[in-house]
Amino acid sequence: MSGSRALNLPRAVRVRAGAEGTPGTVDGRAVESVRESWLVEDRWWTEKPLRRRYWEVVDVRGRNLVVFHDLHCGGWFTQAA
Amino acid sequence: MVVCVYLPRFELVIAAGGPQALAGRGLAIAPLPGAEARVGEVSGAAEAFGVRDGMALGEALARCPDLGLVAGDPLGVARAWEVVARALEGIGAALELARPGIAYFEADGLRGLHGGEEGVIAAARGALRAAGRASIGVGRAARVGAGPTRFCALAAALDAGSRRVVVVEGKGAQRYLDRQPVELLRFRVQTAALVEPLRRLGIRTLGELRELSPAGPDALADRFGEAGVLAHRLAGGVDTPLRTRRLEDRLEESLQLGEPGSGPALERVLGVLVDRLLARPERRGRTLRAASLSARLVEGGTWQERVVFRQALSDARRMRLALSLRLVLLPAPAEGLRLAVERFGPPDGEQGTLFQSARTARLACLREAVSQVRTVAGPEAALRALCVDEDSRIPERRVVLTPYSG
Repeated sequence: MSGSRALNLPRAVRVRAGAEGTPGTVDGRAVESVRESWLVEDRWWTEKPLRRRYWEVVDVRGRNLVVFHDLHCGGWFTQAA
Repeated sequence: MVVCVYLPRFELVIAAGGPQALAGRGLAIAPLPGAEARVGEVSGAAEAFGVRDGMALGEALARCPDLGLVAGDPLGVARAWEVVARALEGIGAALELARPGIAYFEADGLRGLHGGEEGVIAAARGALRAAGRASIGVGRAARVGAGPTRFCALAAALDAGSRRVVVVEGKGAQRYLDRQPVELLRFRVQTAALVEPLRRLGIRTLGELRELSPAGPDALADRFGEAGVLAHRLAGGVDTPLRTRRLEDRLEESLQLGEPGSGPALERVLGVLVDRLLARPERRGRTLRAASLSARLVEGGTWQERVVFRQALSDARRMRLALSLRLVLLPAPAEGLRLAVERFGPPDGEQGTLFQSARTARLACLREAVSQVRTVAGPEAALRALCVDEDSRIPERRVVLTPYSG
């Protein structure tokens, strides 16, 4: 390995969102409840701005998951927050 | 530019006693005694009957009833491969030895030495011819290919002939890779298992694999996990940098036995080899980190085991203890035993201090553990997780993996 590499990179995940953008299912498993949601905006001064809506949810198996919707490129990702 | 040197059926050529032994004969490397009954590398004539490397022995014999089985010769393979590697290193190449028969090196740093890429490739072919003369003609059938990445260079080498070099460059590299069959993924351990499911899904070329997931490898990750991501990267012309081997002095000792031996008799022979190896002046007081123990078996064929010591050492008693445990694994009595140094450790590996704080001792243990892990699994096996911005709102910016310098 020549340099360094980031840990905890986002991983694509299949999310079916409701009308208000709230995750309804994550990887085919229904979301029981939404615990928290927050917006992250960064690098808006660069050509590659970052804009993500994070959701911390609990699925039917009782697992805590953090997923985010990339508001620039689209697509849903999961990541340990 | 990465250059790939590919010697087809290298292990079989060595085991059969030379390339001419394979001409027109259905041959395969026999399974080791006590191991799973699967054949090793197979000759072209056997392939024509549908026999493949790794096939169950029963199925191979059903497909090719005249299939000849040759005892594997890991010791001979290691020696012949070392001859080839040394010949290539003789032109200045820093080699990554993927497996016996496949080696890679970067040509960029050698252009000035040999007068451009053509000069580097010509020098490599010359070195392979010289290795062929020194060993049993193994270098003569060598194929050489070059490309921007390791994977692309391998594809080029498989396309090349014994007299024709294939060089893939620039923008044509992606088009070239797209045309390659997915079978190319068999040459990587991590992606070998994907070939069959991809074929069943009707995906025949790397281009079709790449088009499955034009925006990224996520769909492939869902279906095939990490291997799918790697396959997508390789198909897209992205590969990791080469992991070149460190040049070490070759030190070895061997002893032929009057009559085949096993058990306590071999342990005594091993003790003699250890004493002789440690007495060699070329060791220059250095400890031994890893060694290889090999034997010529009375039933034909050879056996080899690599031993990484828990601590770099030069104590004959402890070495004997660690190595003799491997003798139990010998599948048959041996006619001869050989002990070779694979990796040296520091000269003062066993010099402990009289008063050592607990912290110093812990750090020393950690350094030793990291060295062992790297010797077994390569330089990337131990990395340091470094906190760069613990409070960042972007999770992937908080911690990075960096090389562990000890």
